[in-house]
Amino acid sequence: MRRLALAGLLLVAVLAVAGGLLAPHDPLHQDPDLALHAPTWAHPFGTDYLGRDVLSRLVAGTGATVVAAIESVGVGLLLGVAPGLASLWLGRGVEWVLLRAVDALMTLPFIVFAVAVTGILGNGLTQAMLAIGVLFAPLFFRVTRAAGLALTRAQYVEAAELFGASRARVLRTHVWGKVLPTVAVTAAQATGGALLAVSSLTFLGIGVQPPAPTWGGVLASDLGFLAQQPWAPIIPAALIALTVAALNTLADDRGALRAAR
Amino acid sequence: MLRVDDLRVTVGGDLEAVREVSLTLGPGEALGLVGESGSGKTLTCRAVLGVLPPGAAVAGGRVTLGEVELTSLDRKGWDRVRGGRIGAVFQDPASYLNPSLTVGRQLAEQLRLKRGLPRKATRAAAVDLLAAMGIRRPEAVHDQYPHELSGGMLQRALIAIAVAGEPELLVADEATTALDPAVQAEVLELLGDLRARRGLALLLVSHDLAVVAEVCDRVAVFYAGQIVEQGPTASVIANPRHPYTAALLRVASLGDWRRRELEVIPGRPPSVGASGPGCAFAERCAHAAEGCAAPVPLSIVDDRVVRCHRAGELALAGA
Amino acid sequence: MAALLDIRDVTVEYDGHRVLDGVSLAVRAGEILGVIGETGSGKTTLARAVAGLAPVRSGHIDFAGTELTALRGRALRAWRRTGALQYVFQDPLRALDPQHTVAAAVGEGLAVAGTFTAPEIAARVEGALARVGLDPDLAGRRPGEISGGQRQRVLLARALAVGPRLLLCDEPVSALDASNRNHVLRLLAGLRDTGVTVVVISHDLSSLAGIADRVAVLYGGRLVEHGPIGEVLTAPRHPYTALLAASSPSVRRVRPIPAASLRGPGDRAVLPGGCSYAGRCPFATGACDTAPALSTVDGDRAVACHRAAEWRGLVQVGS
Repeated sequence: MRRLALAGLLLVAVLAVAGGLLAPHDPLHQDPDLALHAPTWAHPFGTDYLGRDVLSRLVAGTGATVVAAIESVGVGLLLGVAPGLASLWLGRGVEWVLLRAVDALMTLPFIVFAVAVTGILGNGLTQAMLAIGVLFAPLFFRVTRAAGLALTRAQYVEAAELFGASRARVLRTHVWGKVLPTVAVTAAQATGGALLAVSSLTFLGIGVQPPAPTWGGVLASDLGFLAQQPWAPIIPAALIALTVAALNTLADDRGALRAAR
Repeated sequence: MLRVDDLRVTVGGDLEAVREVSLTLGPGEALGLVGESGSGKTLTCRAVLGVLPPGAAVAGGRVTLGEVELTSLDRKGWDRVRGGRIGAVFQDPASYLNPSLTVGRQLAEQLRLKRGLPRKATRAAAVDLLAAMGIRRPEAVHDQYPHELSGGMLQRALIAIAVAGEPELLVADEATTALDPAVQAEVLELLGDLRARRGLALLLVSHDLAVVAEVCDRVAVFYAGQIVEQGPTASVIANPRHPYTAALLRVASLGDWRRRELEVIPGRPPSVGASGPGCAFAERCAHAAEGCAAPVPLSIVDDRVVRCHRAGELALAGA
Repeated sequence: MAALLDIRDVTVEYDGHRVLDGVSLAVRAGEILGVIGETGSGKTTLARAVAGLAPVRSGHIDFAGTELTALRGRALRAWRRTGALQYVFQDPLRALDPQHTVAAAVGEGLAVAGTFTAPEIAARVEGALARVGLDPDLAGRRPGEISGGQRQRVLLARALAVGPRLLLCDEPVSALDASNRNHVLRLLAGLRDTGVTVVVISHDLSSLAGIADRVAVLYGGRLVEHGPIGEVLTAPRHPYTALLAASSPSVRRVRPIPAASLRGPGDRAVLPGGCSYAGRCPFATGACDTAPALSTVDGDRAVACHRAAEWRGLVQVGS
């Protein structure tokens, strides 16, 4: 299972980096004669309503989708992990403020918040993912805090403090190594969630201007022509589902490994 | 009464952690098993109780209690023997008591189960038993939960539960190791007292020779899975026959308060299953000779069973 | 001898509960001071208060002219980085980071101090390991991969690496067997010869007596007796010290006073302002409702007991 998941993610990574170079056709090339065509050897996933090659559009759209997902997780890590540690080591005042801020953030629904942010900051994928990243922060905050909480009372931390070690040093030498595996697992899971969020947003037409291809965008355009091609949405949907599943498999596996240790 | 014949216990499949262990324990006798950690004393005691840790198994030999062969018992058979004919206490009493039930309820359960007392009679019997364990306010302790009691009190409560079924044999595995010295002395006195009053036989496992010396009339010294010396405690201590026993005596608490150079036993015991056919102690032994590489038979010297080639010729200092 | 560490009237409270009550004690430069007492007597709290790990409510702790209770924040860290005072935790498995190698653990204090280069640290780590008799090959191992005795010595090496003047050891040997225990205590005795002052908490009186110069006895958060260890344990002035000495297990089983004759009925209420031991003391009278002051006897000894002069005549041998 793990190998399969890794192989799948590797493929996605290659597609994300190489993207357009690997696409058999120009993802933007329209051919009205071929509109809404069933799969053929030349177009294995068929064509869309403008006659564009679906395979090429999915391959070319990988980059934007994946980068957006990673962007949001990165923002979440940045805004979640550091405050998580700060809430444990910078005293009760800081802890109280951070906990309240996180509670407030957690009440916001993902998509609505993202729509609102793009409404204010302008319609771009980066803005949308920034918004999603902010919403990931509480997850990373809670996970980091939970992993670090036991360590604040660990005797080896006390022992290091008796040597006169600064907080920064204690965090670097004794805390980070124990918090990291948990954070990594959470990041893998969050990336899956982020991919879904990117797809949902692009499906709604938020973040990316047509005709630029994304996974969610392909799905949206396919859904517009269900009457003509009922099978078509399955391809982008499966791609999204499988990638998310691969990420979750990997996250669970790492988790099991850590528990065993 | 208790008889262990040529017991072998393996761990992890084929490593012999206990080899050729034979011992007997008569009614009302107290036998101490002493040795370093990993010497096989605890595994021997667990084999007698039928509670070997995962991965460990009896690979040979017999353990019999009276006419019952323990090594061939099934689960049901064990349930009758444990608590009924054998009671046991361990190092960490808190982990053997249910934290959400009062001491009295857990004691009552044993009294009903093993002695068949009716529900109404159990409270009085339980309070009496707690009082017999030297607990000063037995009525109050009866209604308390484990977390409300000190380590010494918990161990007394656990002993009460262990002897509730009026067993013939009480096994105490490092039962006083974690206690403060003053409390340890009280619990050891209690064990001696139970022997005297109830005719209870005692199998006491400890890494501390001084603890064994306080309560046991016979001692078996374990080293690398074997018994290297067995005999009456007083005579073993006054006049050890095995160099390892002599070494243990040199590092044990002497009960004197002089400033002195503390002794150590050089080297480390062999890891489990790593000893060859010869004497396992030879490489740490100050008296080792060429012949010590050959397998060591048990020999009987005076009142002692000793596993040493030179048992007859060495003059070792006692305490 | 001048006092290196002067503890004056120190009181420690946790959540309003007084665990150390007005303890005054001087540790002289170059000596080994043993601290004994049961769980809850305040002996660990005393050591933690000196290390700055317990909330000192009142009193002064003076270390070679530095008032430790006044240090906060940056000043405290700077003082700690001098490494002059080292606290050695009881349980090495908890006090050592499981992910750090032995070399990293031993070198941590030097790395924190920030005044050493990597080669200097490596050289000092090697020196510290050699001082406690550990193989340099162990440097790359992690705490889970070495034995309990070795771990205990790693803790000691870690403290020694920073060149301390005073070492506070909290029960460094309670989890070890007799041979390893003596090994560690011998290392501590060897430190005295290199000018390091040592405070060691232990409940193994016999081996403590082998290495220590003086002993302090704590009960219920108060200092009840102190003086030269041989004299204090041979001829205790406080009934609690006598009970501890009589309770210490010994292979020789010889006791001038049986422990049982030193145990009180335990039904006397302990008054807040009274002697902390009165509740357990068989010799307590009305006078013991007020706390006894620590008074000097025989020049170098002190005892806090209203009946220090009389109780010995009241011991009923054979009860």
